[in-house]
Amino acid sequence: MSRRITAIMLGCLVLATFAQAKDHPGKAQILKDGYQGPKTCEKCHHGKAKEFLGTVHWKHASKVDHVDNINPNEEYGMKNRIYTMCNGNDIVNNLKEVPPNALGKTKFTGCNTCHPGDHTSDVGSTGPEAEQAIDCLICHSSKYDFSKRKPVKDNNGKVVMTQDRSTEAAANIGRPTIKNCMVCHEAAGGGAMIKRGFSMSKEAEVHVSKGIICVDCHQVKNHKFPTGRDPNNWAHDGIYMTCAGECHSETPHKDADYNRHTAKIACQTCHIPKTGGAFSKDFTKWEKQSNGFYEPSTLKREVNETSPVYAWYNLTVSNTPQFIGPKGSRTDGKSKIYPFKIFQGKAYFNKKNGQLLSMDFAPPIANGDSLAGVASAAKILGIKDYEPVPGWQTIYFGSNHQVTPKNKALSCANCHAVNGVLNFKELGYGSKEVDKLTNPELYFEKLLKQQQENE
Amino acid sequence: MKKIISIIMVMALMLISSLTVVKTASAEEMKMTGTITKIALAADGKSATAVLKDSKTEALVTITITDDLTLDKFKDKRIVEGDEIRTKYDAEGGKNTSKMFKKTAGC
Repeated sequence: MSRRITAIMLGCLVLATFAQAKDHPGKAQILKDGYQGPKTCEKCHHGKAKEFLGTVHWKHASKVDHVDNINPNEEYGMKNRIYTMCNGNDIVNNLKEVPPNALGKTKFTGCNTCHPGDHTSDVGSTGPEAEQAIDCLICHSSKYDFSKRKPVKDNNGKVVMTQDRSTEAAANIGRPTIKNCMVCHEAAGGGAMIKRGFSMSKEAEVHVSKGIICVDCHQVKNHKFPTGRDPNNWAHDGIYMTCAGECHSETPHKDADYNRHTAKIACQTCHIPKTGGAFSKDFTKWEKQSNGFYEPSTLKREVNETSPVYAWYNLTVSNTPQFIGPKGSRTDGKSKIYPFKIFQGKAYFNKKNGQLLSMDFAPPIANGDSLAGVASAAKILGIKDYEPVPGWQTIYFGSNHQVTPKNKALSCANCHAVNGVLNFKELGYGSKEVDKLTNPELYFEKLLKQQQENE
Repeated sequence: MKKIISIIMVMALMLISSLTVVKTASAEEMKMTGTITKIALAADGKSATAVLKDSKTEALVTITITDDLTLDKFKDKRIVEGDEIRTKYDAEGGKNTSKMFKKTAGC
């Protein structure tokens, strides 16, 4: 381990200890005056509420310049995207009470359930009322009582999201913990660890096992979050991140052979050998659950059960109704080989223009009628001329979390043995090149030496 | 005589061993979806029991939870009474030990 990484890890440990031991400087004042929402925070952190309204976490969208077939002047994201992992979005699947099912039961559901407002001030809202509706504590409090955050109907029948604005929650604030992040990020796509299928537990993520938390890597500036380049994660705050930077260099290995690989192989390729979650869904066929509600039929695996597919990726994205995934090749001079979870989803396409249609989940949740969901979404969006036909879409999700300890990362033979994980032919190599790339001459002596050292 | 006793002892040992194996193998994996009617955290915080009302049969099933992630969700009330849960558990000797305990809700 390099001295640099050791120093950073020690720093994290010291910071974590310090952060736990040291209270927020405003704690005494909060305990004295109580918490009145963002205006309490604004007494010291002036302008932060307005600043937050301009971020992806509030807007659920941003301009996108790396994806094919979209308008560069419009904003895209969870707010309005249509694809087959989440066939609804904040607009058509706005938080609402679903109609009663056959058992007379109803419940609240919606894509924007995790939006950090109160639903009265919703995705992308602006102005003083929106600023005061921000749920600062859900991200910043280590004592947030999540049972206090729930959708209810107000006196006018409007669905609002309640928040924990207790003095106890406000008095225990700091940098967001893994729990603060994962309370929303693990629930996407229809349940715990379904969408991207990774766990941020000590057992599953080597960074977590060393005390590193989400915001140590996603280093937030002015509430703007740096993100990676998942081909299916379009909205961004304008800041990107990679492994190489403060923690890891471009040549992070002691072994020069491994370091040579970093020019063409992304770190994730060797260091994230497994993910999980849903790998296929059918939004045209909803399954009745024992509680009388319906869910889209879903094939899923545990978080460490899915082996990735590997492809060249130049950080731009092919986007058609049937495919969302990486663009790139071994010859474009920009691409590296990255790991992806391939997801295939079935939903309805508009026969009249070939475009994917979205779905309001409320009708099918209640009675399984997926076409009623399409009709409701079309009505919300003002689409009149459509003819729904079922079809499949393939999506490549980037594998960017659940980094394995280095002794479990892929090694020479995992890729260069004849039955290795990389399909060199599909990656664009000719027969003679494949023979050379899968010749044991490449790795035999090195692995033999390692084996002897370990015996 | 000694030989007979030895044989009997060996056979007894084999019988005990096989019974142990059978007991281990008899743990049955169960699945259910149900609503939590009661959560009780152990005083040391290292385990909890949750009573679930089976959505299908309405039977009450008590499940013991020991994994840290779920226990943490009980402590900060990310999982509370009234939540609907999808669970897998081992049923053995009258005790149901959770192998998976997740809220059904997601966005």
